[in-house]
Amino acid sequence: MTPAIEINGVEKSYGATRALTGIDLRVEPGRIFGFLGPNGAGKTTMIRILLDLIRPDAGTATVLGFDCQRQSIEVRRRVGYLPGDLRLYEGMRGDEFLDFIDSFRPEKRDAAYRRALVERMELDLSRRIRALSKGNRQKLGLVQALLHRPELLVLDEPTSGLDPLVQDEVVGILEACAAEGRTVFFSSHVLPEVEKISQSVAIIRAGKIVAVEEVAKLKSRSVHVIEVTFATAPPHGLFALPGVRELRRDGTTVHLQAHDGLDAVLKAIATQRVLDLRTQQPSLEDVFLSFYTEGETQEEAQRASA
Amino acid sequence: MPPLNVFAKSLRDQKWQIAGFGLALAAMSSTSVWLWPSVRDSLQNFEIPAAARAFLGSDLDFATGAGYLSGRYFGWTEILAIVYVIIAGTGAIAGEESASTIDLLLAQPVSRRAVLLQKLAATALGAALIIFGGYVGFLVSVPTVDMEVPLSDLAVGCANMVPIVLFFFALSLWAGAVAPNRGIAAGFVIGITTATYFVFTLANGVESLEPIRYATPFYYYGAGRPLVYGVTWWHVGLLLGTSAVLVALTLRTFERRDVSAGGATDLGLGSVLRRIAALRTGV
Repeated sequence: MTPAIEINGVEKSYGATRALTGIDLRVEPGRIFGFLGPNGAGKTTMIRILLDLIRPDAGTATVLGFDCQRQSIEVRRRVGYLPGDLRLYEGMRGDEFLDFIDSFRPEKRDAAYRRALVERMELDLSRRIRALSKGNRQKLGLVQALLHRPELLVLDEPTSGLDPLVQDEVVGILEACAAEGRTVFFSSHVLPEVEKISQSVAIIRAGKIVAVEEVAKLKSRSVHVIEVTFATAPPHGLFALPGVRELRRDGTTVHLQAHDGLDAVLKAIATQRVLDLRTQQPSLEDVFLSFYTEGETQEEAQRASA
Repeated sequence: MPPLNVFAKSLRDQKWQIAGFGLALAAMSSTSVWLWPSVRDSLQNFEIPAAARAFLGSDLDFATGAGYLSGRYFGWTEILAIVYVIIAGTGAIAGEESASTIDLLLAQPVSRRAVLLQKLAATALGAALIIFGGYVGFLVSVPTVDMEVPLSDLAVGCANMVPIVLFFFALSLWAGAVAPNRGIAAGFVIGITTATYFVFTLANGVESLEPIRYATPFYYYGAGRPLVYGVTWWHVGLLLGTSAVLVALTLRTFERRDVSAGGATDLGLGSVLRRIAALRTGV
């Protein structure tokens, strides 16, 4: 089957800054694929290469079997794109703007689908874009990307600026797209979002893909950060458990990292009298650490327990 | 046949500018004509030195209708149309980049060449309409006063404004393709326009500065001269030819370079030189 996206050895530099240092990636069709990485890791650069807005210094990229540079128009005919830094024509009304986007693919115009999308997003198209809130602009940006039922959706940070209810709507729409056999490729720097929406994820850091995983697997490897305050200082070695790492102690407060789920560490905590307990969303850094320093982590855990 | 949607949108975006500049030129041309009877007599008894005439952008005799209109209208209103094409020309690429709307535009299934040519056609039409606005001013005013300039000559004079305006339009497009952002592009073209206009008017009639005039585009425009001497076709050809070269360079640069939403990040001279040389990479 033709991959939705295939990237081989793509490099890109801006002067002395190496934005992409050799990207290899394959996205199978019909999936929701998350592109995860901290800000500045190269997500937007890679996405803009797919649309031929910028050209790689080396390597090739194809979308749905078409070369992103030589057959760029064929690529763009089949791709719905939401830019990360979305800017719209301020002076246009919402409906004028959608008409303009529609006019590039007259053969794919579908008024009923457009109405359905607009209603689902609760957008007022009679207002000038200038007068729209950031969230409404983002919704309009999503509608224009979805408008022509593209085979591939390329969304750069699609849920930024949206409130949680609308985010759920967006997730629903993207899932419907995937159910129709279309592919969704979206970038994010927020791990929970990727976990929630996508089936597969690629992690990019400093211009390189560092991991491509099924989300289910990523979740099982993800890290919990726990801060627990006890009535009295717990005995040393209490947390010398596999997959658990004691970071530091402030008096009777202990900072912990759990790598293989919460069960073991919670049972250990429960043997003592607990005053307070807080857990944090694992940061990307934590996930990266759990990915690439697993060996070290085990050693440190043993050191901490010694 | 691809849809002419970019052309239609550009024209729509510029409709108020076109109307405004067109009305301004119509007001200038008609009032200039209507003032003619009252200034004619005083001008006839008054020998204006050539250098003083030159300051008004025309070296023709003001005591004649054609000479008067050359200084009063054709000698400087082209600047108004040039202002319009600088706004539109630097807006075509650099403007969309500075406003970051270019990503969405170029993500559509349309070639960069088509985008540029459609925008070019819209503004060229807009400039022609603005210049035509000036001619409409003549159409309504000339028959009402005693002026010995035929409307057909005025039509030629107005049409002769098109090449110089297109030249500055092409220069603006090119500057918008090579400069890192719209501000720099507009600043560059405004600088060239004012400097060459200033040099042209200064050198007009000053013998020692005479040779410099040939280096200014305004010399090849000639203000109201076509009303008296007819069109100098090689001047028209030179302006249009240079414009065509600039458009070709613009296309080459724009098709080869990276697009930068929000303006280029690399403001260095090196990157601008790479763009001027239309090399394949670099923002």
